[in-house]
Amino acid sequence: MTSYRNGGFFNPAYHDTETLEIDRRASSKTHHTNPYDNEDPTWWGDRASNDAAIGRVPQGGWQEESWRGRENIPMDAISIRPRSPPRHHGPNHSISGMDPEYNHSRSIPLPSSSGNMTMRWRGIAMRRMSMFPDADHTQTAFTEDAIWNEMQNEQQNLLEELAALSTRDRIKAIRDLPMSFKEKKHIRKELELQSSRKSRQFTCLADCSEKVSLFSRKCGYHVKSAKQTLELWQGAMKSIGGKFGTSVLTYFVFLKWLLMFNIFSFLVNFGFVTIPLLVYKHTPNISQNVNNVPQNVTFRGLEILTGVGYFNYTVMYYGSYSNETLVGYNMQLAYFFTIAVYMVLCGISLIFSMSVNFKNNYVLADSASNSAWQLLCTWDFSVTNEKAVKQRRNNLCVQLKESLSETAQQERLTVSEKLKHYGIHFGCWLLSTSLAFGCAAGVYFVYEYEIETTNIANWSLLDEAKTLLVPFVVSLINLVIPLFYSLFNKFEHYSTHRKQIYALLIRNVFLKMSILSVLCYYWMKKVPDKGSCWESTVGQSLYRLVLFDFLFLMLGSFFGEFLSNVIGTKLIPRMGVPEFDVARNVLELIYSQTLAWIGIYFSPLLPAMQILKFLILFYLKKVSLTHNCQPPRRSGRAAQMQTIFIFLLFFPFFVGALSIVAYTAWSLTPSEDCGPFRRLSNSFSAVDVWIGNLKNVTGSQWVVEIYNNVIRSEIFYFLITLIILVIIYILWQVTNGRKELIRRLRQQIVNEGKDKSFLLERLQDLQKSLPNKNTKQKKQKGSMKQHSDDHSSGDQSNSNAMVQALLARQELEEEERRYSIGGVPVPSEMSNSSPLMQAMLARQLADQENEDQYPMHDENPSSSSALAQAMAARNRVEDEENNQYDVFNRSSAVTQAMQARRRAEDTDDDMGDLPHPVSNVMMQVMQARQQAQEDDRIQWMTAPPQNPGPSGSSALIQAMLARQEAQNEYDDGY
Amino acid sequence: MGNKQTTFTEEQLEAYQDCTFFTRKEILRLHTRYRELAPHLVPLDYTNNPDIKVPMTLIITMPELKENPFRERIVETFSEDGQGNLSFNDFIDMFSALCEASPRELKTIYAFKIYDFNRDNFICKEDLEKTLNKLTKGELTPEEVTLVCDKAIEEADLDGDNKLSFADFENMISKAPDFLSNFHIRI
Repeated sequence: MTSYRNGGFFNPAYHDTETLEIDRRASSKTHHTNPYDNEDPTWWGDRASNDAAIGRVPQGGWQEESWRGRENIPMDAISIRPRSPPRHHGPNHSISGMDPEYNHSRSIPLPSSSGNMTMRWRGIAMRRMSMFPDADHTQTAFTEDAIWNEMQNEQQNLLEELAALSTRDRIKAIRDLPMSFKEKKHIRKELELQSSRKSRQFTCLADCSEKVSLFSRKCGYHVKSAKQTLELWQGAMKSIGGKFGTSVLTYFVFLKWLLMFNIFSFLVNFGFVTIPLLVYKHTPNISQNVNNVPQNVTFRGLEILTGVGYFNYTVMYYGSYSNETLVGYNMQLAYFFTIAVYMVLCGISLIFSMSVNFKNNYVLADSASNSAWQLLCTWDFSVTNEKAVKQRRNNLCVQLKESLSETAQQERLTVSEKLKHYGIHFGCWLLSTSLAFGCAAGVYFVYEYEIETTNIANWSLLDEAKTLLVPFVVSLINLVIPLFYSLFNKFEHYSTHRKQIYALLIRNVFLKMSILSVLCYYWMKKVPDKGSCWESTVGQSLYRLVLFDFLFLMLGSFFGEFLSNVIGTKLIPRMGVPEFDVARNVLELIYSQTLAWIGIYFSPLLPAMQILKFLILFYLKKVSLTHNCQPPRRSGRAAQMQTIFIFLLFFPFFVGALSIVAYTAWSLTPSEDCGPFRRLSNSFSAVDVWIGNLKNVTGSQWVVEIYNNVIRSEIFYFLITLIILVIIYILWQVTNGRKELIRRLRQQIVNEGKDKSFLLERLQDLQKSLPNKNTKQKKQKGSMKQHSDDHSSGDQSNSNAMVQALLARQELEEEERRYSIGGVPVPSEMSNSSPLMQAMLARQLADQENEDQYPMHDENPSSSSALAQAMAARNRVEDEENNQYDVFNRSSAVTQAMQARRRAEDTDDDMGDLPHPVSNVMMQVMQARQQAQEDDRIQWMTAPPQNPGPSGSSALIQAMLARQEAQNEYDDGY
Repeated sequence: MGNKQTTFTEEQLEAYQDCTFFTRKEILRLHTRYRELAPHLVPLDYTNNPDIKVPMTLIITMPELKENPFRERIVETFSEDGQGNLSFNDFIDMFSALCEASPRELKTIYAFKIYDFNRDNFICKEDLEKTLNKLTKGELTPEEVTLVCDKAIEEADLDGDNKLSFADFENMISKAPDFLSNFHIRI
């Protein structure tokens, strides 16, 4: 409301009136939960006397501020009520301001849902923003009873709603309030006071529960604190984020997340499988088929790379685990269930984080609003490094320029150019796909070669070295081919950066999938027929793969980042310092995690290796990043990328690993003479055996029953699948419905915007059609100003506008109240216009009347007769209204207020011989306003009562008009 | 914490924890950071809620804010007097709203306030131009700035009044999943 600065043709006051409307809309929803609804008449009586208070001109701090320099005018004389103490917007005052009704309204049950609550808070937030554009509560210009009351009322409602929540929800709700800490603290205190008052009424039970909740809250804070202390790499993360931005940080967050998976997996495996074995069986290596631990097996060093030999006799691999029941601890079951539970937990946590990510990042997010998005959402507030900031700036400039030229370019793209682009795309896809196939075939043949040439019977050092061939080739492929893919990407022209990244991702995923599937084919089909303890063999090859992957990752960061940095800075400056390729690096992580998941069955301690690997990798990548790389040029959509990465990790990779493990456990025959499942047809039959044993135990029949009838029955799974399909279908339909709803709501916003602009146009037309009158009015007002310009400054008109706006607001509220009691508000856009026009007409009428008053006023400087006339006219209207609106006590209050005001005026006239031009102007504006209101009311009587549309909009129009008028005055004043 | 001298009472800390997204440790750390800005001004003992404000010129020297193009606006938005002088409560408020745990709705409201330079409750073209100039430090020509701003408004303005209201802004934010992670200052 302080923004009268650009005062051009278009009224800036419109800003606020529009916000007023929005505000109303937001809070009108919540009025249904408002306990005040039941006692509106009394409340409105109160409100009406407030009207009078406004009529009598603001007081307190506002007066001091805006009426500065004119103390000699006895403003207070108009008021017959004693001057109330100046009020401030400090929250401390709202406790004292509790209405008496407030207490007896508390018994009314409060139907509050959380959705409703957030709407209300938003409404409040918006309102606050509109009332205090600069969030400045100390600004005394707004110290106005009405606003203050309203705020207080809002706060009461808020308190009510908060009080209805449980302690925990309440705390959360308070935290989410868009208010300053002071206000929040005040609300919190208020609530505590209330609850303590309440608990005094009840038994000590409530007291107890209160204490328990308090205690649990404290505990929660301590746990949160402790968790924060344990958080890994906080400082490192901050510095990376500060230097390279959120998108690069995604990689490190992902790495940390995977590390947590592996730590959990290691703890579980080590705790439930390895420790029991180590404790009860000191020599795990007897499990090898020969009962002698080979004397010649010593640690030679090559084992670290190959994972064979000495490692075969440790708890590293499947083969070393026992199938016995160790002092009541069934190793078979422990092994089976540990891995099964781990895999299930992994899956659940993946699905959970995926869904959270999808929810937070809105799957539907589209790139439609590119410029606005680039302007308002891309700046990374966490970046603190000067160089990075500079670079981001440059990048943003380049991107904006690009997007400007792109839009111009898009249309000029000819068919032949398009064809060329498609041709290049096709070629690249073909090339990359065939490369992936070629690599898979290569791996296949290398494996074939290894299996054919190695001789298990006499295991030589050369044979051992030969086993390194496959992991070497696989890791090399993983290192080199993605670089090729990145190269292809440079030749292609994608319309958006996003498409480019997706293409790159899909190709890389395809490559990794094809290689892994060849390897899995070998492990599942060929290896089981070969060796005596094939699970351990598979475990060894996984060990080698994991290790080589690690070595090549290090090499990769050497070649990929260090070398290209050297080349870019020293040799070919054109290339420049490399960027950190988040997508490629994350895919590498995903790949290595997949290996670990597959290996969990064959080598339960593989996660330990993975932990080490990730720990080293974190520091390595951090160092490499800070020394060799520059912040990314494109501010990619980091959050979206993260969602995609998690999805990729889940969908092809985790699901693939899970199915491999499940296939192994269900369908493959375990080795005859090693491992926990020896001499069983498959791993799952360990459970069969256990259930078979349970049959003999009394009291556990139900477990057997459940197992036979539920777990083993196809019907059960069939039904479950059916139900899930039905649920999916229903949810899908619901989603479609919601999408439609969103579309319609958006359309509605657009329509309302059009309505608004149409109405504004009409308004301006109407005003133009009455130019003479307006100028006359202006002239008069100008002369009035001249009278008083030794006293009044521009502040005065400002205050008029204030008062009018307040009135409009109050009126709006009043109407809304009335309708919320009267009937269900029907959202109707159609009926908007005609009542609106009526309102405008009424307004015009009022204006004319107003003008009629002005000349008279000129004749009689004391203005009493004009006033008296106006009063009489008003009284008539009021009487009419009294007859019709007896249902609402409000009108009587209004009359009272009127009388009070009249008396005030009379006394004023009696007392003051000197003219009060300013106050007279004020009064007249008020009256005109009031009259317009009356007219309006009369018209509503004819209008259908359950239509909130006209009321809201007419009041809006009135407010606008009032504002415009004030603006005119203001302009004249200068 | 109570080994040397108490900065806050138990009650104060609890209030801070209830009303912000921070833990006790973070609140104490924030206090240390706040005190570092003006050691002669800010006492160690905050148990009696001293009414002390650190001026904006000092606040924006924090490394977290120093390079931020919107640093003045951020500080102004959160200061109670609107001039950029921050009391400790304002300081906590600022980082609480910008921390990771703060929900989207809250961040949206504050982001809107920050981008609304002239505080008229709309992000109008003027605001957008200011934003753009802050982001690019005047490296675009005035014509380009106008073009970009026009385009931005055209894209994000739903109701066709040529400026972005809060609803427009919110709608745009909902399409930009990065906003949450970008509108975030690690402390």
